[in-house]
Amino acid sequence: MYWVDVLDQVLIFGILAMSLNLLLGYAGQVSVATAAFAAIGGYLSGYLASKHGFPTGWGIVLGILAGSLIGMLVSLPALLLSNEFVILLTLSVQTIILVIVTSVAALGGELGLVDLPSLHVTKDLVRPTDWLVPLIVLTAVVYGICAWIGESPFGRILRGIREDQLATQSLGKDVWLKKVVVFGVTSGIAALGGSLIVFYNGIASPGLFDFNVSILIVAMVVLGGRGNLLGSLLGAAIVTAAGPFFEKVIKLSPEKASLARLLAFGLLLIVVLLLRPQGLLDENWRPMKLVRRLRRPARATEEPASEEASAEEFAGEVATLYGVRHREEAQALVSVKNVSKSFGGIRAVDGLSFDLLEGRITGLIGPNGAGKTTVFNLLTGTLPLDAGTVLLRGQDITGWPIDRVARHGMVRSFQDVRLFPRLSLLDNVKMAVPGQRGEKLTDLLFTPWRVFRDAPRTERLARRQLEFVGLSEKAEVLAGDLPFGEQKLVALARILASEAEVLLLDEPASGIDAAWVDRMIDIITRLRDHGLTVCIVEHNLQVVERMADHIYFMEAGRISADGTMQDLVEDERLVEVYFGQP
Amino acid sequence: MTLIATFLGIDSFREVSQAIVTGVINGAAYALLGISFALILGVTTRFHFAAAFTYTMCAYIAALIVNGTGIPLLPAAVIGVVCSIVIAVAIEGTVYQPLARGRSESLLPVFVASLGIVIAGENLIRLIWGNNTRVLGGFPQHTYSVGNVNFTSLDITLVAITVAITVSLTLLLDRTVLGQQIRAVRGNREMALAVGVNVRRIYLLVFAIATLIAGVAALFDGMKFAVTPDMGNQPIFYGFVVAFVAGVTRSPVRVALVGVLIGVVERLSTLWLSESTSALTVFGLLFLFLTMTSAPAGIRQLSGALSREPRVGAPGRARGHA
Repeated sequence: MYWVDVLDQVLIFGILAMSLNLLLGYAGQVSVATAAFAAIGGYLSGYLASKHGFPTGWGIVLGILAGSLIGMLVSLPALLLSNEFVILLTLSVQTIILVIVTSVAALGGELGLVDLPSLHVTKDLVRPTDWLVPLIVLTAVVYGICAWIGESPFGRILRGIREDQLATQSLGKDVWLKKVVVFGVTSGIAALGGSLIVFYNGIASPGLFDFNVSILIVAMVVLGGRGNLLGSLLGAAIVTAAGPFFEKVIKLSPEKASLARLLAFGLLLIVVLLLRPQGLLDENWRPMKLVRRLRRPARATEEPASEEASAEEFAGEVATLYGVRHREEAQALVSVKNVSKSFGGIRAVDGLSFDLLEGRITGLIGPNGAGKTTVFNLLTGTLPLDAGTVLLRGQDITGWPIDRVARHGMVRSFQDVRLFPRLSLLDNVKMAVPGQRGEKLTDLLFTPWRVFRDAPRTERLARRQLEFVGLSEKAEVLAGDLPFGEQKLVALARILASEAEVLLLDEPASGIDAAWVDRMIDIITRLRDHGLTVCIVEHNLQVVERMADHIYFMEAGRISADGTMQDLVEDERLVEVYFGQP
Repeated sequence: MTLIATFLGIDSFREVSQAIVTGVINGAAYALLGISFALILGVTTRFHFAAAFTYTMCAYIAALIVNGTGIPLLPAAVIGVVCSIVIAVAIEGTVYQPLARGRSESLLPVFVASLGIVIAGENLIRLIWGNNTRVLGGFPQHTYSVGNVNFTSLDITLVAITVAITVSLTLLLDRTVLGQQIRAVRGNREMALAVGVNVRRIYLLVFAIATLIAGVAALFDGMKFAVTPDMGNQPIFYGFVVAFVAGVTRSPVRVALVGVLIGVVERLSTLWLSESTSALTVFGLLFLFLTMTSAPAGIRQLSGALSREPRVGAPGRARGHA
C-alpha cells in the first residue's frame, strides 16, 4: 500500500514533468510556473466539486481549459522576451496566482478546500490502489500526447525555436503561433496534473502548489533529460521516491528523511549538471533505437552505398528535384529598388538598386563593411528596411517577415551557418521541407492519419537533399558534431529542401577546405543550370569568378560597378578598394 | 485634505507618512538586494538564485556566533559576511564556471544548478542546526518618533549604510581601474578578454562584492525579524524584481532608487490590501511592467502570423512534389 501510494505520486508528478518538458525541453521556454497552472486546474475543479456539487470529471475538463487559456495569455508577453525575462515573468505569475488562491476566502485561504468528494471512475477512487490503474492510463495518454506533439513536424519546429529561432524562421516557419500553442497545451496538461493532486490528496491547499513545487518540477525535467519524455518520468520517480527511500530503506525518521531527500536531490542535481549536462537520458535516446541496434548485426553485410554519383546521375537528380526550366532570355526575378538602411548614424546600405536574373548566379562582392550581408538581411526581412522596395517575381514583398518571404520562394543562408546543433542532419533538413502535415496543432489533433501518411514524403525529400550534397551517410549525426565545412553543405541542403527558387548564399565557401570548395561550386553551378536563381556574397574572388554570371561591386553601402569578373579586375580603382593600397 | 483621505479610504495622513517611511526602510533593503543581483547578472550573466543560500548563511553564522560564544555583534557579523563571500566565490568557481565553459547558452544550467544549491543548502541547515527560528541580537535598539511617525535606530543605520554602499559602489565602478575592468566585462566580454582583462578573476570579484552587499541586507533582516533556514527565498525574489525593473546594467544609484520606490509602493498598498497580499502588489506591478513592455510587440508578431496571406506568386511551392 505504501509503495503504491509512492507510485501514484510518481505518476502524477510525471504528468506535470512531461508537460513542462514539452515547454522547456522542446521549445526551450524556461517556465517556473508549472505549479501555478496546476493550482488553476486543481482549485477550479476542487471548488466546483465541493461548493457547487459539480461533476468532478467536468470540473477537471474546465480546469484544463482555464489552464490553457491563461497559459496562452501569459505567452503573449513571453513571445519576445529573452529567457531570463521569461523566468521572471513566470515567477511573477507563480506568485500572483498563489497569493490569489491563498487570499480568496471562498477557496479556503491558508487552509485550502478540504471537503472534497472523491473522484469517480467506474467506482470512487479512495485508496491508492484504486488510483493506480486510472493514473497509469492517464500517464500513458499524456505521454502519448506529448510524444505525438514532440516528435511531429510541430515538435521539430519547437526544437528549432529552442536551438535557433531566427534560423527556424528563415526556413519559412512561423514561430509565434507555435509558442502560444505550446504554452496553452502545456498549461492545460499542468492543470490536469493539478486536479489529480487535489483529488488524490483530498485537499486543495496553497502548500501543494507553491514555488518550491514548480522548482521541483523544473528539476525533474533537467535531471531526467531535457527533450526526453521518458527522462521526465525517471526524474519524477527519483525526486518523488527519494523521500520514501530514505525513510523505509535507510530508516531515517520521517522528518529527517524529507530533509535528507531534498539535500540529496539538490546535490544530485548539481552533480548531474556538471557531469552529464544533458540529463540522465539524452534527448535523442529512445528505447526503440536500442532495440534496433541490437538487431542490426543480423544485416551488417549490407552493401556500402556507391561512392559518388556520376555526373549524369547527379544532373538527373537535380532535374527531378527542380524540373528543368532553362531559359535563354533571363528576366529579373528579384528587383531591389532604392533600398536604404541606417544603423544609428551609419548608412550601411544607401539607395541600393539591382536585379537578380532568373536562372543566373549573381555575385555580390566588395571590401569588408560594404554592407553585403546587410543587403541579404534587408531582402529577406531579417532586418526591417528604412526605405525602398523589394519585388519577388513582381510581388512587392517589402517589409514582409522573414518566414513569409521564405514561403514565397526566397531563402537565405547564414555566414555562421546557424544549423540546429542538437538536431540530427536529417532533422535539420527536414525542418525546411515546406507544407508538411503536422506543423499545425489542428493537424495533429484532428487528422493524425494524414500527419502519419505525410511523414515519409518529408523524410524522402530531406534524404534526397542530404544525398545531393553527399552527406546521406551521416543523416543521424548531430549537426553540432560536424566539421565546419560539412556544416556549410548541410546548410545548403537545408535551404534546398525549402524548395525556394531564389537562394541567397552568404559566404558559402569561406572557412572550408579546398576539396569542399570544389564540391560546393559544383553543386551551386548545377543548381543554376537547372533554373534556380542564386545570389552569393563571397570573399574568395576565385570562387565568385568560377560561378557568377554577373557581379555587383559594393562599397560603402552603394553599388559602384557591375559586370563580369574580367570587367571588374580591369578597373584599377576597384582592385585598390578591394585589396587596399599595394 | 481630510476629505481626500476619507475618499481614498485612509484614516489619516499619519498612516500615509508612516507607510512611506516604513516603505523607504524596506526599500533600502530591496535596494541592496537589487544592486547585488544586478551586479552579478549584469556582469557575469549568471542567474544566481543561490544568493538565497549565501544570504541565509550570512545571518545564520552571525547568529550562531553571537548566541553561542561571547563574541559581540560586529565581529560576528563580519565573520558571517566573510563566510558567505567564501561560499559564493566557491559556487562561482566550482559550479558556475565549469557549467558555462564552452557553452554559448548557459542560463538554464546555471539557473537550475543554483536552484539545486538553494534546495540542498536549506535542508543542510535544517539537518545540522534544526528548524528553530533564531534571533540575531546585540544591536542597541532605540525607537524614535517624529510627528507620530515611528522608526528605530536599526532602520536609520540600514538606510545610512545603503546610501554609503550605493555611493561607494558607484565610485568604485566609475573611478577605479577595477571598476573600469568590471564595466569592460559587462559591456563586451570578448573585447575585455582580448585587451587582457582576466575575466574569470573579475567574475569572482563581482561575486564577492555582490555577496558582501546582500550579506549586509541579510544581517539587518536577521536583526529586525528573525533568522530562519529559508529566510533568503523571499528577499531574493525582490532582488530579481528590482534589478530587472531598473535594468541589470544600470548604475547602482538607479537600481537603489527603484528598490526604494518598490518598497514605498508595496507599503502604500497595504493601506488598502492586507499585509499578506503585499507580494501581490510587487509581482502584479512586475507582471504589468513586463506585459506593457513586451505584449504589444508579441501580439503584433502574432497577428502578422495569423493574418491570411494572399496565395500569389509562389510557384516555387508547387514544385518538387512530382
